[in-house]
Amino acid sequence: MEKMSDENTEEVKVLESEIERLQAEVESLQHQQQEINKDITFHYSQQMENALVFMCGQRQEGGKEMVMSRLKEELEELEEDVKLQTEINGITLNSCTTKTLQNSGRKLVQQLSLSGNCSELVFQVEFQLSEIKDSERSKRTIGDLNVVLDSSDLQNFSSFLSRVEESRDLLLFFRTLRTFSDRCDDRSRTFQQFQDKYPSVIALPGGPRSEVMTLNHPKLPGCMLFIHWSVDVSREGVVTPKISLLTKIPERALQLFPSQAVGGAAEAFESLLRILGPEAALESIIQAVSLSQET
Amino acid sequence: MEGAPAKGVLSHLSLLEVKARSRKTQLQQHSRVMELKAKVEALKTQREQLKAQIQTHQDLQKLRLAMDKQCADEEEENMEEESENSKLLRLMARHTQLKDLLHAHHLIGGYDIIKTRKGKGACVSIATAYEDVFLDTFNLEIDLKPTVKISRHNIPPFIPLNNLAEQNNMQTDLRVFLDTLSKHLNAFAGRKQQLKLVKEKHKSVEVMESNVLCSLLVLLFTVPREKTAVLCTLDYTDHTRCLPTRVHLESEDKQLPDSPQWKKNCTLLMETPVHKALITMKKMGSIA
Repeated sequence: MEKMSDENTEEVKVLESEIERLQAEVESLQHQQQEINKDITFHYSQQMENALVFMCGQRQEGGKEMVMSRLKEELEELEEDVKLQTEINGITLNSCTTKTLQNSGRKLVQQLSLSGNCSELVFQVEFQLSEIKDSERSKRTIGDLNVVLDSSDLQNFSSFLSRVEESRDLLLFFRTLRTFSDRCDDRSRTFQQFQDKYPSVIALPGGPRSEVMTLNHPKLPGCMLFIHWSVDVSREGVVTPKISLLTKIPERALQLFPSQAVGGAAEAFESLLRILGPEAALESIIQAVSLSQET
Repeated sequence: MEGAPAKGVLSHLSLLEVKARSRKTQLQQHSRVMELKAKVEALKTQREQLKAQIQTHQDLQKLRLAMDKQCADEEEENMEEESENSKLLRLMARHTQLKDLLHAHHLIGGYDIIKTRKGKGACVSIATAYEDVFLDTFNLEIDLKPTVKISRHNIPPFIPLNNLAEQNNMQTDLRVFLDTLSKHLNAFAGRKQQLKLVKEKHKSVEVMESNVLCSLLVLLFTVPREKTAVLCTLDYTDHTRCLPTRVHLESEDKQLPDSPQWKKNCTLLMETPVHKALITMKKMGSIA
């Protein structure tokens, strides 16, 4: 009797110490899980929860096929949503990586790294995002903005870029990028249209994205007109297209034809621009040069 | 002779008692052991579950990092033999990627468009910010069919919504219209924020006049020492900008606005946001 009692006490002691050990293990695993959860800033959707539970080895109704097909459906919805946002925002984002630096109930600080493009302009943007939750509202601020633009059209953009990194105006950067991109697209579309329509007269020496279009009649090889269409961006983000006409006419020709039309072409073009607008003004110059009868 | 059997009975009784007590103890100990064994099993299960969850999260993170790198390097996806579980994990990682992309679209000032009524309508949000601080968000409900029309909104009345809609061909290009509206709203939010900062950080400067659109600002400066008053009018006639288009100075001292120092201040006020310009002007000793 006594002996059995002793054995029992022994067993109890062993079990109790095992329980203590297991509790300590569970606590440390829970702590580890809490740390991981801090990095996850979105609530998982129901489908993600189901998938997680499945991956942890728990059987569910419908089994794996159900979990996978439902998740696939949700993925399709998300892909549609991304397409929709891409279209209305005029910005394509290829990747977004987030690193959580701090996540305590009230304050969330993250480091984000985005890459994408706006039409032909490719960018990489990194910034720090802080969100502080008050009782009624949350305050969001940007820290440490860093922008890299991968493009050849860049001299006009650099003073704006350094100003925007200084002021950390993330939204201004993207608004301005989009407007700048739209104006550059206007230019290249117009240049391309004219080159297609008047191939013998128009050349784009720098390619379709460049700032320069040349006009030159094949029968007058020494005489060239240059259309210089720049898109300037001010330090505060105002985008201004500027179109001007430059002539390259040999001295001899100017001497033979001292008419205002040739010598004063640049000023004349400015007036034409004001009256007709860029496309019509350019077309009338082109028609003049190509000696075309078309209207 | 009666003693002996009584002793026998008593000792028998006490033996039975001891037996009964020890059986009770035994049962108690036995059920305690069962209890403890059950607890051990429960804790073991909990531990295994936690381990599985942590492992899944770690695998998910690792896969996500690899997929991000694949996107960046534009590598071909390595779709060799994958287990069912790793297929599911890949779907989960893609889920987190897409959520992050949507969040990023929102953060960079995207319009967060939501289609409603089976594509016949849409809701958009226009976020505003000035420098590093996010400010108010404005919302529009738009009918898309039969024509594009704004049905509800919370845009302040001094923003010419209908004019902007007409001038920007809202019918044909919704994005361009929204971009222009966003420019107006952000410039307004920026001017408003500058006024707030002037009031907060520059108590020595009196705000004499301002309007709801924050397109007009009249400030009263005091020149240190002489205590001369200078009235400064800032006109923001371009409502898409946060900087004034005209700065006008008036003072009892007629010479003052033409002095080189104040000509410089005028230029400063044209090129720098007002709350920052005032800091410089104070440092230079132009104003108190």
